[in-house]
Amino acid sequence: MVRLLYLLLLIFSVGVFAQNTATGPHIEVALVSEHNQVRAGETQWVGILLNPDKDWHTYWLNPGDSGEAPTIQWHSDADIEFGDIHWPLPKPIQVAHLVNYGYEGATLLMVPINLKQATKERVAIRANLSWLVCKEDCIPGWATLTIALPVADTITLSEHQNLFEQTRLNLPEKHKDTAQFEVTSTHLGLQTTLPYQSDWYVFPFRGDVIAHNANQVWAHQPNSAQVVISLSDYFATPSEPLNFLISDGKSGFYVKAIPNNASNANAPPPSQPLWLMLLFAFFGGLILNIMPCVLPILSMKALSFTQSQKTNHWGYSIGVLVSFWLFASIILVLKEAGSAVGWGFHLQEPLLIAGLAFLFTLIAMMLWDLLPKGINLAGVGQSLTGESTFTQQFFTGVLAVIVASPCTAPFMATALGVAMISPMLDTLAIFTALAVGFALPMTLLSLSTRFANLLPKPGAWMQTFKHFLGFLMLATVVWLAWVFLSQTSSFGQLWLLSGLLGFTFLIWLSAKVNRVYCVMSLLLAITFAAFCSVKGTQTTKVVSEQKNNHFSAQKLTELRNNDHVVLVNMTADWCITCKVNEQVALNNADLQALFEDSKVDYLVGDWTNKNQAIYEYLGQYQRSGVPLYVVYAGNHSKQVLPQVLTPDIVINAIQQAKKEINHATSN
Amino acid sequence: MQRLTKWLMLSMLFAPLLSIAAAKVDTLAPDFKLQDSFGKTVSLSDFKGKYVVLEWTNHLCPYVVKHYGSDNMQSLQRQYTQKDVVWLSIISSAEGKQGHVSAQKANELTQKRSAAPSHVLFDEDGQVGRLYKAKTTPHMYIINPQGKLSYAGAIDSIKSANPADIAKATNYVTAGLNNLLAGKPVTQKLTKPYGCSIKYKS
Repeated sequence: MVRLLYLLLLIFSVGVFAQNTATGPHIEVALVSEHNQVRAGETQWVGILLNPDKDWHTYWLNPGDSGEAPTIQWHSDADIEFGDIHWPLPKPIQVAHLVNYGYEGATLLMVPINLKQATKERVAIRANLSWLVCKEDCIPGWATLTIALPVADTITLSEHQNLFEQTRLNLPEKHKDTAQFEVTSTHLGLQTTLPYQSDWYVFPFRGDVIAHNANQVWAHQPNSAQVVISLSDYFATPSEPLNFLISDGKSGFYVKAIPNNASNANAPPPSQPLWLMLLFAFFGGLILNIMPCVLPILSMKALSFTQSQKTNHWGYSIGVLVSFWLFASIILVLKEAGSAVGWGFHLQEPLLIAGLAFLFTLIAMMLWDLLPKGINLAGVGQSLTGESTFTQQFFTGVLAVIVASPCTAPFMATALGVAMISPMLDTLAIFTALAVGFALPMTLLSLSTRFANLLPKPGAWMQTFKHFLGFLMLATVVWLAWVFLSQTSSFGQLWLLSGLLGFTFLIWLSAKVNRVYCVMSLLLAITFAAFCSVKGTQTTKVVSEQKNNHFSAQKLTELRNNDHVVLVNMTADWCITCKVNEQVALNNADLQALFEDSKVDYLVGDWTNKNQAIYEYLGQYQRSGVPLYVVYAGNHSKQVLPQVLTPDIVINAIQQAKKEINHATSN
Repeated sequence: MQRLTKWLMLSMLFAPLLSIAAAKVDTLAPDFKLQDSFGKTVSLSDFKGKYVVLEWTNHLCPYVVKHYGSDNMQSLQRQYTQKDVVWLSIISSAEGKQGHVSAQKANELTQKRSAAPSHVLFDEDGQVGRLYKAKTTPHMYIINPQGKLSYAGAIDSIKSANPADIAKATNYVTAGLNNLLAGKPVTQKLTKPYGCSIKYKS
């Protein structure tokens, strides 16, 4: 059989020499010209006609899952320039489990020719042709086809002219509109404009781009259309432009798609060098010293150096370092336990916000000398203004880190964002750099008299300066009250502000009365503060705010704490895959009905413009781009959905989450 | 639209299943158990500690004919089995389809073509072929002694049925195995295979 096949091939390739037609098993091939003559300096057309038997097919330039495109090598005894093949519109041909791209029936592969100079009377054109013709089985063939055409000034149309005319109607057109593509781990998304609605089909030029047997689902927008197709197992170069033919079988056009860099959904998180992040963290820590929340504390501390020489040098720095390490460890432990936390995670807890507001108010009152005399408030006043032991220094460092934490969160975002998604040691290194930067100015002051001498001399001005610093602390309290509002409600904020008023009043009162009443008043102040904080955090938002579906980390935490099922959709206008998902899956009526349930929420994070909160959220899932879909079953479990959705995937995930909550709460 | 959606849903449901079990370069090659042409049951795990080449074949496919007619495939088999590489030729053609052969016929072919595979294995129901996502004949795989898939794809760089191209092409199996045997990583781990479609049981 094999030998027979070879014999046949040999006969065809030799036997057809010097002829313009050849016959192979299940196919006839011919070399034809549109004109009977050639004229110098003019573009004319020749072509290879492939005519397979019924049910057999030949291939397009990308044959699809198997097969092989025909190849033609042109030769001539004259100076003729041969152009590229103008491929007619192919169609997808299903062969068992595979899809091939090609042609059933007679197909003309047209090629433009141009005779440069009329130096001869007759020119010979030779085509070394190879093809593959397939039904389910395939048979390759080779032939050398030749035609000779007279050179003349007047040319006449040949008997094949109709064939050329018919083929021209079936050629794709050039398309001027832009196209973009993006790649997820499993799919290719392509966005372009379509001239009209039809059953469009995408043919990639390269064979290693899409799974040829995959379904193609289009989503139509007013000004563009997107399609998402399973990626080929062999696709490896997402950064190069890709060429496609888009055809509905009757007409078609070529597009060159450029990578959608804005999305970059498949890329790993950006890897900035560690040293740069350490540098950021160090300078961040340094600058943190002059933030309104920290400056008052540190100024007092610094001034104390000018008054007393008996200072322990290292207590403060060690206090700062240990506090930052403690923060880092808590974050690492929580992350290890599967919680999604970032720096400033504690600020998402309204009770802590309230606590900080009371602490800052207390410090302001201390700066204004409104605290009762003789009562050493946890040594704070003492350690800030007087001589200091190691322990006092240490706790000044701890206090400084605590008061610095609200400022750190917005300020240190880049380095801390990286620290959150880095390996454990890198996270610790970044936190250490931050701590060193933060502790450096005070440490220098305590170590070196030269630095300490730079500070102004003590005097009456210090009292005024101290009072001024109190306002900086209150500024931070204003900010905290505002954060508290976004976490709770306006009623919650009213509770907090009332609490602060009562608290300050009771502290002020305690300074005015004698010893026993003073202690009672202070205890009352603390009780009142705690009561109002708890009351404030217990208020819930008004209903209209609850269904407002813009993503925020606080809202997500709150909904999860209340045992809600939450679907988070991270999207962007420039994300092709996102748009297809929203049209095909998320707009589904059954799914929308699920959102009517008061225990099911849908949060949308729009990353069209840069947004730090969303960036950090994506980082928690080792993503640096959208789409990202996560379904939470309260705090019990979470499920990251695939990047290409169907209504059922989403519905099943939500129903699964509901079951988990029911199961967890019924136990 | 509804039909499309349903289709998409189905393909989505199965895609993750396939990708979990299926072979992927740089991950553990899935184990399998097949009968060879002498009636012996052969498992991939039998060859742990050795390099294993998987060759999907169909003796009537012109692309396979190209590599056997020119003695290219057999010489690769001889060359590497001598270096203690295990060479498994796998036939996934279903009964009644092109390339399906009896055990006796398979042994005749081996003898007639002076082929030297370690085993010729039959995968009539196509399970192993589908597990490895084998698409064409030939479709080549290299598995390292740790059981990881080191190469998957075409036999060489020129996609044609013309034997004259063999000499001009870069042979990916040779390149991969030589690198591995020299303790170097495989430079091209994944290529698109070319050839005839595998005639799976539908």
